[in-house]
Amino acid sequence: MKKKILAAVLSAATVTGMLAGCGSTASTGGAESAAATTANTESTSADADAAADAGAAATTAGESVVTEPTDLTFIFADGDEGMKTAMNEIVNRFNEAYPDITVTIEPGNGGAYSEFLKTKDSVGEFPDIMEMRDTAMYVRAGKLAELPEEITSLFQTTTEFEGAVYTAPLGGENTNGIIYNKTYFDENGFAEPTTYEEFLELCQAIQEKGDMAPLVVGGQDIWHMGFWFHKAYNDQVLSQDPEFIKHCYEGTKDFTDETVKATFTELQDIMQYAQDGWTSTPDAQITTFLVSDMAAMMYSDTHMFSNIQQADPSFEMGWFAVPSPDGKTRLVGGAGIGGLAISAEAAQDPNKKAAGEAFIKFFFQPENYKLYCESLSAIPTTVDKPQLDVLPVFQEVIDATETADDLAPMWNGRVGDNELPPDFRNFTYKTLVEVLQGTRDIDSACEEMNKTWKTAMESFNPITGTGIK
Amino acid sequence: MKKTGKFRPDKVAIGFIAPAFLFYTLFIIVPTLSSVYYSFTSWDGISPTIRFVGLANYKEIFTSARFGNALKNTVILTLFISILENAFALGLALIVDHVRWMKNLFRSAFYIPVLISGIVSGFIWKIMYNYNFGAINSILSGVGLEGWKQDWLGNTALTLIMVGVVLVWKGAGYYMIIYLASLQSVSTDIIEAAEIDGATPIQKFKSITLPLISGAFTINFTLSLINGLKVFDQISVMTDGGPGFTTETLVYLLYKVGFNEGRQGFGTAVGIVLLFIIIILNTLQQKFLRSREVQL
Repeated sequence: MKKKILAAVLSAATVTGMLAGCGSTASTGGAESAAATTANTESTSADADAAADAGAAATTAGESVVTEPTDLTFIFADGDEGMKTAMNEIVNRFNEAYPDITVTIEPGNGGAYSEFLKTKDSVGEFPDIMEMRDTAMYVRAGKLAELPEEITSLFQTTTEFEGAVYTAPLGGENTNGIIYNKTYFDENGFAEPTTYEEFLELCQAIQEKGDMAPLVVGGQDIWHMGFWFHKAYNDQVLSQDPEFIKHCYEGTKDFTDETVKATFTELQDIMQYAQDGWTSTPDAQITTFLVSDMAAMMYSDTHMFSNIQQADPSFEMGWFAVPSPDGKTRLVGGAGIGGLAISAEAAQDPNKKAAGEAFIKFFFQPENYKLYCESLSAIPTTVDKPQLDVLPVFQEVIDATETADDLAPMWNGRVGDNELPPDFRNFTYKTLVEVLQGTRDIDSACEEMNKTWKTAMESFNPITGTGIK
Repeated sequence: MKKTGKFRPDKVAIGFIAPAFLFYTLFIIVPTLSSVYYSFTSWDGISPTIRFVGLANYKEIFTSARFGNALKNTVILTLFISILENAFALGLALIVDHVRWMKNLFRSAFYIPVLISGIVSGFIWKIMYNYNFGAINSILSGVGLEGWKQDWLGNTALTLIMVGVVLVWKGAGYYMIIYLASLQSVSTDIIEAAEIDGATPIQKFKSITLPLISGAFTINFTLSLINGLKVFDQISVMTDGGPGFTTETLVYLLYKVGFNEGRQGFGTAVGIVLLFIIIILNTLQQKFLRSREVQL
């Protein structure tokens, strides 16, 4: 009997423990947010002047923006050492420039930042200023304060939610491209491809040579697969219909569309050149492949430049954008949905609001913002751009974003009518891996995406307002 | 004792029970009951507005291929580890019980993996399984078995089993201790009597030892069943539920949709369904194993 009781108690404890983790009290919040819209505002010279004035005003030492000493908490995704150093330096400079304001950095758990921020919110420790990633969700929950025009005018482009801006974009959306072993290319007479066909021929030539894999792919991290998925999706779907997601919400299109199938086909063509074991290779390991002559190319964003340099300072790298099959160059870039934000609760206190806004303006002054951009190889988003001391290869990326045929955020970084349901991105990437591994065919994958989409639409649809209002 | 017919609360007993009762109620019972409510909502986990959606989450669960896949993975993994953990644990317990020297060394050596955290053991094995740099493939290459190299955590046919191997490696030592305690409680008188009657070692084990340690089987199978159903650490660290959805179990699905994808309501509904699955499986298992126990 005792054993029976023990077994029952163990069972109950297990399931209640699991369930207890699922239930928590709803957080209090401010205003209910409305459906989101996207608006990329082109800056004018007048904006630039205003930004310059704002920057100058913020640097005037001794000019207090608060009526009493004010403390602010600040959280960012601190997984990257370079970023941590830059952020600390900027905060130190701010605290010196504004003696009556103290910004305190709290640890940010860079590895699972989104979950960490949710946890901080649920325990009543939501920061005053933060790096915001899941902007749409927090805006809808009334957790973020609207940024004033004197801040938004500092940027070339910002992302709006029904006419209001809630985030100051930390950097241009990460521009992906091929980072390659320049020495290997030079020794073997390989040139940067100018067309999509040339890119596939280059991969084929490297594969036939046999001394290293043409491409290294960190497929264990599904967000890494997102880089590749967006490239093909941009080539095949967005090039034909930039509002494809909106049309799916409306029901006029779905994921059995030929362009979606072509996306999978394009990725099948490319992924045959990935290294053996790509599905179990984490993103953190792909640098090792490149600098150890195990792979000739990787497809990633600019943060990899500093990683590669740290791994092997003598490594010579080159960069090129992978052309689309139609000959155009489509890149990820421009201001995204994330950035620095002020919490709605902090903004209710006039001193905290003024201090938070002063901090953001200070952060984006060229001499301070330079630290951030250089440490993360981030593309500046401000009108008044800092003079960056960057690698030639990074300058190539900046130049490419200025000449690209199309520059837009990732497919999952859009707001408004083209915003994805919360769980659809990960489902798509996992389904993609199944297709690439041959455990699911393209037709079946598209059908599964449709099923998941229909279910997701029942709880989130910006066209009808479901899950938003 | 004289029965008065009135309920007389024992203040001292209540004083001892109250702190634990309050703690358990506040942190376990209340959140659990509130989970039932959240399972009927489309709450995203942070929004102050919570929308009641009735049985929509449960309807989705029973029509979703993803849930079906997670259930299948959970069943395979649970069966795999329940059987192998107990088989290895019993084997290890017999070894430790029968060795004449360095008994403590063996016992400690077999128990050490239990002391390593799930996260750490996941990291260790993830490195060992690595296709390009891992110890297993390096050893295979080193001994000329290049063709045996596998993408242990990338091959969809192998990944779930490879995660199961780690769980067995980590868990067997714990169950060994329970089997060992049970083995050492078997009366030597009965064993000696059987020896005098001419029983062989296999006959002694099958007809005496095994029935007398069947209580340990019940406990161990119950524990391993529960542990199998709630595996999380190793999957999180080693595969993140992938490749694709190959190693996504119910608990991992619950975590992913609830905490990662902003669908707390749906995740909670998965938890409620899991509760019923555990209750049903545990009841069936108890019924089966209890019927085979022998009491002296």
